[in-house]
Amino acid sequence: MPETPEQSTGWQRRDFLAGAALFALAVGIPVAGVTLSDLDERDAPTERQRLMMRLVSQAVLPATDTPGAGDVGVGDFVIVALAHGLEGTREPVGSAEMPWTFPEYQRPDGSLRYVNWLEATLDRSANGDFIRQDTDARTRTLAKLDSEAFAEGGDAHPWRKLKALILTGYYTSRVGGSEELRFELVPGRYDPVVPLEPGSRAWSSDWTGVEFG
Amino acid sequence: MAADMQFDAIVVGSGISGGWAAKELTEAGLKVLMLERGRDIPHQTGYETEMKKPWDMPFRGVGNAELYEREYPVQMLNRHFTEYTQGHFVNDAENPYATKAGTDFNWFRSYNLGGRSLTWGRQSYRWSDYDFEANKRDGHGTDWPIRYEDIAPWYDKVEDFIGVAGAAEGLDQLPDGQFLPAWPLNAVEQATRERILGNWPERVLTVGRTANLTQPHRGRGQCQARSICARGCSYGAYFSTQSSTLPAAEATGNLTLITDAVVEKVDYDAATGRVTGVRWIDRKNGTRAQATARLIFLNAGSFNSVHLMLNSATEAMPNGLANTSGVLGTHIMDHPSTLSAIALMPGFEDVTSYGNRPTGVVIARYRNMDEMDGVGHTRGYSYQGGALQSGWTRGKREAGVGTDYKASLQPPGPWRVVLVAFADCVPRARNRLTLDRAQSDPLGIPQLNIDFAFGKEEHAALAQAKADAAEMLTHAGGRVIMGFDRPGPGGSAIHEMGGARMGWDPATSVLNRWSQAHDIPNLFVTDGAQMSSSACQNPSLTYMALTARAADRAVDLLRSGAI
Repeated sequence: MPETPEQSTGWQRRDFLAGAALFALAVGIPVAGVTLSDLDERDAPTERQRLMMRLVSQAVLPATDTPGAGDVGVGDFVIVALAHGLEGTREPVGSAEMPWTFPEYQRPDGSLRYVNWLEATLDRSANGDFIRQDTDARTRTLAKLDSEAFAEGGDAHPWRKLKALILTGYYTSRVGGSEELRFELVPGRYDPVVPLEPGSRAWSSDWTGVEFG
Repeated sequence: MAADMQFDAIVVGSGISGGWAAKELTEAGLKVLMLERGRDIPHQTGYETEMKKPWDMPFRGVGNAELYEREYPVQMLNRHFTEYTQGHFVNDAENPYATKAGTDFNWFRSYNLGGRSLTWGRQSYRWSDYDFEANKRDGHGTDWPIRYEDIAPWYDKVEDFIGVAGAAEGLDQLPDGQFLPAWPLNAVEQATRERILGNWPERVLTVGRTANLTQPHRGRGQCQARSICARGCSYGAYFSTQSSTLPAAEATGNLTLITDAVVEKVDYDAATGRVTGVRWIDRKNGTRAQATARLIFLNAGSFNSVHLMLNSATEAMPNGLANTSGVLGTHIMDHPSTLSAIALMPGFEDVTSYGNRPTGVVIARYRNMDEMDGVGHTRGYSYQGGALQSGWTRGKREAGVGTDYKASLQPPGPWRVVLVAFADCVPRARNRLTLDRAQSDPLGIPQLNIDFAFGKEEHAALAQAKADAAEMLTHAGGRVIMGFDRPGPGGSAIHEMGGARMGWDPATSVLNRWSQAHDIPNLFVTDGAQMSSSACQNPSLTYMALTARAADRAVDLLRSGAI
């Protein structure tokens, strides 16, 4: 296979598969589910980007009495999800709707390379290197981006989709779904009225509640 | 396969109505061939994702969006379509259909054993004389040749067999049935019911009547309150062909079932004026086969039964099988539906519920009954929905990162009530199905072409439904945060029906009051194609009752030598 500029950045398909295998080990997903045989190689992440997505995920949903999102492989989940267009991330986005983006992060079809965009945006916000910030500083950097995205008029802000994928990755993982929240595939009965005690954890297996968010 | 397979009856399709036809005809002693165009999905062992957790799935149950965009662009819009259930829906790329310019129609299909009985919403409502008299009353469509009293005993029979959980309310417009114990309302729904009734005694919110078993029933297990029915249910706790009618038909020893058999044509003998058999293509290897029978039931699904009749045109019947009237394919319908209101319901912060009730609530029709009080429309609408607590997905809309944000998503979210309106669809001649001679499917069969649009009556009904929903939920103590009055694309309710309507007059209808072709006495069409109007209730229970009724009639006619 001819060398491409993308490959010279350090990305090799087998590296990603190895990463995927580790990811699968961490979160119990069949490796077959996360291989990216048809991935546009320009979408393949660098190791720095994988680290960034792990740190970003962890900052959004940190370790508390349960592990955080970065701890359970959500960083790689988001990369895989982006490669397959989850959360509408392969839809074209017009620059008019997206004053926060720059053409260099858009594919020819108009969709956004979210990871590249996020890396540049966070580095810029962090005066050059988001990854080198300490945990508190990273959280502040992300909080700033988050408040911008959720301000009035921020509906089409790219961060919203990334954050949505981080949530999906975490609350559909074993830890997020059954430790941070509760999970029961076979409730066996329906109790229409149950007292809600302070500190109660929701059921991630309440499919209707999840569907209608 | 023998080229000279002979049966007493052939049933085309194994879905909700086909399963009933096979059961009734085999139990009457007929040797029956049931043909299913899709793959076999055996009960229990065929439900491959039933017990999977999100973290067991390659895409966490959300599914591969890129694949869906490419191969399931219509099916992915179905509420029940997920990574767990995608195998119970057709691949759109492999199963194309055409639409007329300007038509936006989502045709949701399940080509597999059991058809859409595996993925249906299970809501089971009787129609009333407000529905069977609707066409006569306002002049749209053609008068139904049956009334409630004709079908009532068949509703009894069907409900008793499939098991329908519901609460008796004594409403003329939504007749009570043979109910299993009802699923209970949750605290918010109970309060909403009482508050609405307090102001509008004619508006009754009751729990959805659903074909999910609240107790063991006829050898099938009780519902486990999972509410993941469309994956298939090994407990047999909701009605499907696999759980209910197929075992009954097979127990007779009279059933032959062939899957992967795409029926291409129904054979017609002009000399006798009867249908004589069907021809099909094995979709796995492209080979052709045929069988003969004295009696044929079409249960391919409303649009596919019409498609088959159109594609079975002969020199003797050049416009399609049983289409001397020329109305075959016309007057198709689907319920216009929309999310009329979502309201936050404060005051219930100290209660929750446990388990996943496999049904919502319904507010029975209350417009245009004894008083014509519809604004711009002459028929009815009703609501389905329920009260629920939002899950973790609410976090997608909320600002915040870090420990506090994570903690905020741990408890159940605030209670909300959702009301989705379903309105009557006026039967119109211009909404019709035709064969598209210019485009074929991968088997070489001309595609179905759908020409459909909702009219001003449907828009008017949904506008009134939106206003009413906001008024009711506000009165009930809610704060309405969203509501719509425009219908989704045709097909969105997955209640497409009509195309081979029943009627009194052979000159203006395809079927008589027994779901029997006016033109061909040994041909019966007992799926949704036979419907002359749409009502605003979910139609499947009515398809089942009409199928059982037609099968009984057909057996009588066979035994008497009339067909």
